[in-house]
Amino acid sequence: MKNHLPILIIILPLVFSFLILLFRKYAFYLSLTGIFVSLFFLLRLSSKILRGNRIIYHLGGWEGPIGINLVIDGLSFYFSFLVLCAGIFIVLYSLYEEKYSSTYYFFLLLSTSSMLGIIFTGDIFNMYIFYELLTISTYLMIAYLKKGESLKASFNYLIMGGVGLSFFLLGVGFLYALFGVLDISHIAERFLVIFSFNQQMVMVAFALILIGIGIKVAIFPLHGWLPDAHSLAPSSVSALLSGITVKIGIYCLIRLLYHIFCSEEYFFIRTGQIYLILGSITLLFGATMALAQIDLKRLLAFSTINQIGIIMIGFGIGTKAGFTGALFHILNHAILKISLFFCAGIIIKKTGSRLLQGLKGFGRREPLIVLSFTIASMGMIGIPSVNGFISKFIICSAAIEAGFPLIVVIIIIASVITAAYYFKIIALFFDLSETSAKITKPFGGKNASSRIIFGYWPVYVLTGISVFLGIFPKFGINLLEPAVKLILSNFIP
Amino acid sequence: MNPIHFSILLFFIGLYGVINKNNLIKKIIGLTILNGSTVLFFISIGYRENGIAPILSEELSGELMPVMVNPVPQALMLTAIVIGVSVTALALALIVKIYEKYKTLNIQQLLKE
Repeated sequence: MKNHLPILIIILPLVFSFLILLFRKYAFYLSLTGIFVSLFFLLRLSSKILRGNRIIYHLGGWEGPIGINLVIDGLSFYFSFLVLCAGIFIVLYSLYEEKYSSTYYFFLLLSTSSMLGIIFTGDIFNMYIFYELLTISTYLMIAYLKKGESLKASFNYLIMGGVGLSFFLLGVGFLYALFGVLDISHIAERFLVIFSFNQQMVMVAFALILIGIGIKVAIFPLHGWLPDAHSLAPSSVSALLSGITVKIGIYCLIRLLYHIFCSEEYFFIRTGQIYLILGSITLLFGATMALAQIDLKRLLAFSTINQIGIIMIGFGIGTKAGFTGALFHILNHAILKISLFFCAGIIIKKTGSRLLQGLKGFGRREPLIVLSFTIASMGMIGIPSVNGFISKFIICSAAIEAGFPLIVVIIIIASVITAAYYFKIIALFFDLSETSAKITKPFGGKNASSRIIFGYWPVYVLTGISVFLGIFPKFGINLLEPAVKLILSNFIP
Repeated sequence: MNPIHFSILLFFIGLYGVINKNNLIKKIIGLTILNGSTVLFFISIGYRENGIAPILSEELSGELMPVMVNPVPQALMLTAIVIGVSVTALALALIVKIYEKYKTLNIQQLLKE
């Protein structure tokens, strides 16, 4: 049993997702149990992994390049922990959002399972398959409400995602033609030999994989699908997509490009500098576009593009501090963005309006939700005492150490723009000019039901965690230290 | 023409279809061509001139080992074809729903609404 834990962590949500289709009545409880059991198994491995070890599981007992390996090391542990914890919050919040049918929970668990598959697998083709599974379930979750706009958004994502994954598959094909294996660690071993006499083909493979994953991560010129897909989905799905699914693409970038194409000095252009340039453009573009939005969830979606830019910059710097900042920002952005989308969901449900103008005077009706929204947006801007500040600060100081002062200027400009668009919303919350007459009774009256607890408490808990991590960042940084060590040592523990 | 070059050509034809066509169905046809080109690419990696299926038997155990095709890409492509078909089916289902709502499949008109 103990030896088979890695595969159980992936399989359990999958099994539970099909159980949901059998026992439709208990969909909510089954999905919660599936994720909890999976998390429990993951935590049983935690002590071994946080000490810097790595667990390799051979599927079916076939080793090495012939079989498929599951690799759990510091990096994959960090990301899978993030996915499972966020999954619990999203399942809880889904109960408040709407009376979702069992199909919704089925896709939620299916996507969780495939995300864990992407994270653990050591085989590049297997990664492609899990990625397709993940995107198919997200297409369906975006189109879940079957409204015209969300159908169009889902179709748009399907076209972009389909093209992106074709690029990725072609890149995998080039790698297989060159190296003759699909196992990531075996490709990395043979990389230098093959690269020395077949440079151009390796470059083509690199470019294809970067474009393929770039579409999934929404790097600047390839971001077109993200604002529609993330804003028109149900709020709980938006939280999942913005908080977690985008990060899976970043995980693939780290895993493939820093493990296989790790040898920076062998490229004409260093891979790190590509990330820096792409990250800066993405950052400025996302911030500027968010400023122009009048739809609350669309604004949050552009804010995701903005924060992705910061994470890319952190990885582009390529020093220890840069990696620490970027990985920590992934955690912080996940917490803050999930909390913001939950707040947005509650606000849209209460006011019935997606537009920013419809939010006037909301601060009087739901002071606690508005407080949580304010704290989360402070984290996004990077105001001290909230966790977003710490990671931005680490990335900025890493940029100065590595000699990129221009990057710091860009991050600060983008933070100012971020402050502008979040303060615009917060100012509207306390604008009592028109709606002061319409203020209804505060929450807690006769409308309070057990369902509302599931809507509000995840927001409060996430806000609490973000403030806690802002004051004691050590807890977050300890979690990602093995991952940083692993990246710096080129994935040899 | 080398099948690898042909598959790259097909890839760009598919990409052209996805980017340039206004009709949603034609976009999906482009996506299918794109998918098919990657399948052809993988299969042509594993192809050997006059190769036989890689099954070891008593007769083959001598010194003269005949040329064999590489079975791994074929096995991989079975999976990729299945995924491609399911994505196409999902896309067509979405198109049906979009057509029911908007009564058009032209992307320019869909963007206006």
